[in-house]
Amino acid sequence: MNLDRLLELAYRLARFGAWFGGGLIVAAALLVGVEVVIRKAFNLTIGGADELSGFALAIATTWGLAFTLLERAHVRIDSLYIHLPVRVAALLDLIGLALFIGFFGLVTWHGYGVFATSLRVGAHSLSPLGTPLVIPQALWVVGLVLFLAIATLLLIRAALALVRGDLGTMRRLVGSRTLTEEMAAELDRPEDAASAAEVRARR
Amino acid sequence: MIWVTLALLLGLLALSFPVAAVLGIVGLALDQLYAFLPLYLSLGEMTWGASTDVILVAIPMFVLLGEILLRAGIAERMYAAMSHWLSWLPGGLMHSNIGACTLFSAVSGSSVATAATIGTVALPEIEREGYEPRFFLGTVAAGGTLGILIPPSINMIVYGVLTDTSIPQLYLAGMLPGLVLALLFMATVLIGCWLRPAWGGKTRRSTWRARFRALPDLVPPLLIFLLVIGSIYAGLATPTEAASLGVIAALVLAAWRRKLTVAMMKRALEGTMRTSAMIMAILIAATFLNFVLTGIGLTSQVNALVTDLGLTPMQTLLLVVLFYLVLGMFMETLTMMVATVPIITPVIVGLGFDPVWFGVLIMLLVETAMITPPVGINLFVVQGVRGTGQIHDVMIGAAPFVVTLMVMIALLILLPGIALVLPEALAR
Repeated sequence: MNLDRLLELAYRLARFGAWFGGGLIVAAALLVGVEVVIRKAFNLTIGGADELSGFALAIATTWGLAFTLLERAHVRIDSLYIHLPVRVAALLDLIGLALFIGFFGLVTWHGYGVFATSLRVGAHSLSPLGTPLVIPQALWVVGLVLFLAIATLLLIRAALALVRGDLGTMRRLVGSRTLTEEMAAELDRPEDAASAAEVRARR
Repeated sequence: MIWVTLALLLGLLALSFPVAAVLGIVGLALDQLYAFLPLYLSLGEMTWGASTDVILVAIPMFVLLGEILLRAGIAERMYAAMSHWLSWLPGGLMHSNIGACTLFSAVSGSSVATAATIGTVALPEIEREGYEPRFFLGTVAAGGTLGILIPPSINMIVYGVLTDTSIPQLYLAGMLPGLVLALLFMATVLIGCWLRPAWGGKTRRSTWRARFRALPDLVPPLLIFLLVIGSIYAGLATPTEAASLGVIAALVLAAWRRKLTVAMMKRALEGTMRTSAMIMAILIAATFLNFVLTGIGLTSQVNALVTDLGLTPMQTLLLVVLFYLVLGMFMETLTMMVATVPIITPVIVGLGFDPVWFGVLIMLLVETAMITPPVGINLFVVQGVRGTGQIHDVMIGAAPFVVTLMVMIALLILLPGIALVLPEALAR
């Protein structure tokens, strides 16, 4: 299987990760919202919704990292970058990605340590729920590992493009997002154009 | 130590490496250079702790709320209603731009989302109604910045978490300055149109009948604002719980408008995660960096350095304002906040200034940074929505509003009560 096909699969996986992570946030919102209403309306404290929403955030974050990376949405300061020769800029793209992988590699390593400790001592959360911490932490670490795998694949593919002198592909994969691309991402919503037209017609 | 930190941080950021990576790597480097005990060993615990922080859960929820509202089509109707009410003023629709931005800010925690949403609806009017494009573009870029000042505000959550300040208090403190700033923006439009009548375009006549008929279109955003912000102040909900209620209300609204589809939700979730994972990656790295900075004693060194300067508190404050104005011209704003706020806030609070008040001041400085060239995210957003012409037009058009922001910053420094009166009244 060639590398581009693999990267295409990685993108689908990352997008699924984003849906999963976003879905957890929606679920957390529903859970916390319902809990507030029940607490105030019936004076009943179920408890635990805030703890579960914290887990949702941690898991959603790691599962969303890869998608954000492939969409090139991790913030970079490109004031200087845009004035550099393309080859130098391309090299910085690669080093930046390598540093990103390096730091989150370390986070993953020590994050796995947290999971392993919880597993060893059978840690439970201190709340009334007493959640076995290995469950959310396992999902959290899986997200981190998934991110590292996809990021490494991206690094290899981009490095290959640089070696081959294919700067176009390189830029598309890991370059800093240009203004137009930024907006295309911000505004990909044809349904809005439709309703805008509808309002204009009503005036 | 201070200079090594500064050089590393600014150097690596200038090389355009991802901000989260830079913060983390600088943390690791300082840890290697100066720490007695290796601090990186707690990286796992620290990351788990930071990413399960219940306060931070509010961030993706507010992003999600904005993503859903964006797609529920409330902006168009809101804008049309605003134009009935405000466009008789000299400057016409430019007042609607600011009014619509103000109202959208009350449901959105982000300035970029506000400028993008209102810009999409407003910018087609430039040609249709014959406005001077630059000034018109400026109103959208500047009005959009209100997003982080008027609650809810994602940046205030970040400030609150970084400095351990109460987020409900920050939200209260931002409300009055937000309204005053909106009025000042409108005054700027009036002054501009008085100096150069040609900038004003046509003023529109509307009827009271049409105005009242349009009022229901303002109700959904107002209801969501009351639900989210009201529940915080009534003591019913924490910011995270309020954000949850907001998300549920937005889902109901989208369903009622028949915009709630699987495809729409997928796009909304992608947008939410794109922004949230980016912010969280930065916050995780910043938490580690701040832990190292405190651990190696850098925070207290900065404090000592400032004391050694022998300036009065007011002189120090003005120096800090100047520092942010210059830095804000070149630096992306979230980065600017996480890299500087944990170090500078203790100094300022040590001089006797109120942390809640300083939070509002930081919001105003961040707003200014968003519309000052060469790097101002709202300038880019508005230009991106516009899609034709030169970015220079937006930069020039936003310049008068930079002056307005300076006036607002001066007002806030001279009359701290603008921010503090509401939180103090509620504390009693």
